[in-house]
Amino acid sequence: MTLTEQSQPAAGGRSAATTVASLAKSWADRAPRQVAMREKDFGIWKEYTWGDTWELIELAAHGLLALGVEPGDRVSIHAEDRPEWVILDLATVAVRGITVGFYPTNPAAEVEYLLQDCGACVHFAEDEEQYDKVDEIGRETLPGLRKIIFVEPRGMVGKDDDRLLFWDNFIEEGRHHREQHPNAVAERMAAARADDVMTLVYTSGTTGPPKGAMLTNSNSAFCIDVIVNAGNRVPGGPPNPKDQIVTYLPLCHVAERIFSTWTMVGAGPVLNFAESIETVNENLREVQPTIFFAVPRIWEKLHAVALIKGNDASRFKRMVLKFGLSLANRIGKIKVANDGNHTVQSRILAAIGWVLVFRAMRERLGMRRVRYASSGAAPISPEVLEFFIGLGVPVFELYGMTENSAVATANFVGRMKLGTVGEPYPEIDFRIAEDTGEIQVKHAGVFKGYWNKPDKTAETFTDDGWLMTGDVGEWVDGTHVRIVDRIKHIIITSGGKNISPSEIENSLKTSPYVKEAMVIGEGRKYLTALIGIELDTVGDWALRRNLTYTTYRDLSEKPEVIELIQGVVDATNEKFARVENIRKFALLPKELDHEDGELTATQKLKRSSMMEMFGELVESMYS
Amino acid sequence: MFGRPLLRTSYEQDAAMLPTAFQKGALAAFMLAVVLMGLGNSVFTWLPSSLLGPTWINPVTNLLPLAIAALGFNILVGVTGQVSIGHSFFMGVGAYTAVALGGTGDGVKACVPFHDELGLLDQTGQCGLDFPMWIWLPAAGIMAALVGIFVSPAAVKVRGLYLAIVTLGLVFIGLHLGRMLPEYAGDFESGRRWPSLDIKIWREETPLVQMTEDGKWFGLIHLSEEQKQFFFLLALLVVFTILAKNIIRSRTGRALAAIRDRDIAAEVMGVPEFKYKRIGFALSSFYAGIGGALWASYLGRASPVDWNLFLAVDFIAILLIGGVGTIVGTLLGTVFVELIPDVVETFTEWLAEQTEAAPPLGWIANLLLTEGEGDFGPISLASTAPGWPMSVFQWNFVIYGVLIVIFLIFEPLGLYGIWIKIRNYWKRWPFSY
Repeated sequence: MTLTEQSQPAAGGRSAATTVASLAKSWADRAPRQVAMREKDFGIWKEYTWGDTWELIELAAHGLLALGVEPGDRVSIHAEDRPEWVILDLATVAVRGITVGFYPTNPAAEVEYLLQDCGACVHFAEDEEQYDKVDEIGRETLPGLRKIIFVEPRGMVGKDDDRLLFWDNFIEEGRHHREQHPNAVAERMAAARADDVMTLVYTSGTTGPPKGAMLTNSNSAFCIDVIVNAGNRVPGGPPNPKDQIVTYLPLCHVAERIFSTWTMVGAGPVLNFAESIETVNENLREVQPTIFFAVPRIWEKLHAVALIKGNDASRFKRMVLKFGLSLANRIGKIKVANDGNHTVQSRILAAIGWVLVFRAMRERLGMRRVRYASSGAAPISPEVLEFFIGLGVPVFELYGMTENSAVATANFVGRMKLGTVGEPYPEIDFRIAEDTGEIQVKHAGVFKGYWNKPDKTAETFTDDGWLMTGDVGEWVDGTHVRIVDRIKHIIITSGGKNISPSEIENSLKTSPYVKEAMVIGEGRKYLTALIGIELDTVGDWALRRNLTYTTYRDLSEKPEVIELIQGVVDATNEKFARVENIRKFALLPKELDHEDGELTATQKLKRSSMMEMFGELVESMYS
Repeated sequence: MFGRPLLRTSYEQDAAMLPTAFQKGALAAFMLAVVLMGLGNSVFTWLPSSLLGPTWINPVTNLLPLAIAALGFNILVGVTGQVSIGHSFFMGVGAYTAVALGGTGDGVKACVPFHDELGLLDQTGQCGLDFPMWIWLPAAGIMAALVGIFVSPAAVKVRGLYLAIVTLGLVFIGLHLGRMLPEYAGDFESGRRWPSLDIKIWREETPLVQMTEDGKWFGLIHLSEEQKQFFFLLALLVVFTILAKNIIRSRTGRALAAIRDRDIAAEVMGVPEFKYKRIGFALSSFYAGIGGALWASYLGRASPVDWNLFLAVDFIAILLIGGVGTIVGTLLGTVFVELIPDVVETFTEWLAEQTEAAPPLGWIANLLLTEGEGDFGPISLASTAPGWPMSVFQWNFVIYGVLIVIFLIFEPLGLYGIWIKIRNYWKRWPFSY
């Protein structure tokens, strides 16, 4: 099914561009009673059919028209994942507006920057917490902001702000508007053009302030065609309405938008909204998704959960588990050696493991029915992937970035290579620059440019119009691509050696005890590392040894804990060449936080501010 | 959604007693097995009659009314947390209501207490109005519930051990009344006849369903008297089990549990203590009344001494061994406790046959059994044996006592707790939490 077949002729005779909104409408027309979304509310997964969903999208779109949203106007959304996010996003696209997603963790200062940068006229702040961040900003600095829609009334009563509008009233206004102008939304949708900007996706900004990447309707259509509907990439065929997806990563990130909203409108699976990031494990168990996307941090966490819970099991269970994990390890190795395919031996081992451990463990992890899982958005350590592949969860590593609608490379079924991000999609132009080793792409999914930053946009493209990804890659066996590191992150030691820190960092993070790792060595004689421990697991480890501690810092400074991490560092050093060995390391005295500016909203390290914050700690390792 | 038992999309699903298809299937299979066992030789004519015959159906039928009474005891003790050892008294209230309304007797005048002293009748008559079961069975429950409500203020005044003593007093009051009121109770030692379980519309000669004779049901299956009673009581037990389960998980049940956990805290949270203790007593006594009436009617004959302390202690054993506060535990406990005597008796009989067998079996049998003077085996074959060696009946009590002690120390949640532990072990596989 190609997208051109789905697009509908507009009233005026000129064919309207396919947008995520028109795709949603076609689902509502074709299958109004099919479930589109589920949200857990008071312990019950409340269902929204496509009919309900489109009705709400249409009302919200009329509501936006009632608020005077013109084509090209920005509507910003500052909320956790929830049906209203998707509804407002699609409604905005329907009226040819531009959706801007904010991370729920964005602190007030960043919200101010983002709101000023995008100049939104309607802002969705889900609850009091998010509203307060806008409230802190002076009204005069945001002259264009006309309305702030909120959906959680708790704590909002008595707020003296004429910009506030309750979600239900907003929908009512939409209903009123629809009665007076029944065709207004349909007319807007019919006028949609392929190069309309449909969303601004702010990049995480590890260096400098975030930039809003403009993605157009043709970008999203291309992405849906290549990523979502690519049958050869997903075992068991492309996603379909029987599939279940758990939506839990921030929807403002391009990866979650693709794997949730765009997959939903493109192929019709059910979106199940997790209650919050803390309850993901329980929600995964309940929903047992069939298609699952996670960032490395989540995969590492699931891996750690399995190991830690395994250690705590009773003696007999521990014995069986140990045997099962060794099986998983062997199966993983066999499959990895065979491009992700089973051999007779691995099939036999998998059958034994399935009976003993795998079935139950996958059920507990919420991976029982996963037929396609993927990891992306950051580098992941091969050990973690091998573990899940051994368990029978088919995890494929993908590579892409906001600026190319995440369309670059992917591992395909039966042609998987561990440690690579797979092969370039056949539909795109892909090259690795010979001089710098930088990956460059050119296809219909490449973004239009950065919002209001033509100079930055120009910097991202080569003279012949290729997108510069900023990632250094190399070919593996001529077909697969391995990502070395971000160009900016490559370390050149004083001895002149080029070292890619992220591989070493990921290897460190394979240990359940390590949460953050940052390798340092630019212009230095040897490598050092700043390491942040995982409070839960190390705390648990300490309690088992009768080590009492008070705070994170106290725990980090325990000689026993330093010794524990030394073991992790030693194990990593064994895997790397001598120049890549970490000679010294220091444990971070605090947990890194987005609010304190050490991490981006996507939990990536902001290296420059890390060096500012912990400069002394670093210097102490070199003196 | 299929295969995702934790994905609940409605409150009906969330509140379902049997949320998964597997649970539904397992229960259906169990019920089918019970029904097939009940049918026994009526359907499986080729099976040896000893396997499915009356050898087991009588003791099992006997425990069905007791299970209904035990469910009531669980509501009071297990759910509401009010310690009572007067359950047999409430059973008696129900039973005597049943016999007064449904038994055969000398008319209305005979139902007035002390009617001979008052000169209403020439001699002591028996109260029995010969009403059908649809009147006497509900009345038995209601009467017991009313008495329960009358007693309940004591539970607000006194707690724990003191309440136990109050309820213990009820048992002795009951025994005394039994002696005082022969017009209801009949002879103190030998008792009187109870109405049968026949289902009648009024006082017609041929009842709608004849329970006391063998016959064909629906013209299809030939059932014996025992089988009919078994199925009738089983059906009632199923109804009362579902009712009890629903009471426990309703608003009322949660209020009762709140009282159990801490009555003062419950009161503070807005659960009226007195009201719910009264409800707890009423519900419990209702079940006791129904159970007592059915039990006496099933036995056909009962005397005031049958509603004694031993019966009350049986229920404590049932609850502690089965699992306090749980329906399944109560039912398991009833089966276990009520069948122990039969098992012990069968075992003893079997032992007695083995005394002549080849060693070591015969040797062990001789060592355990006492036959006549000078033999010092611990089990006496005589029906009443004073002191050592003890009779089978006395051994039963020792076994109860030992089991209660063992369960209280090692498995306070009873047989049900053992099941839960096993279930959770596998449910949590391959982890421990």
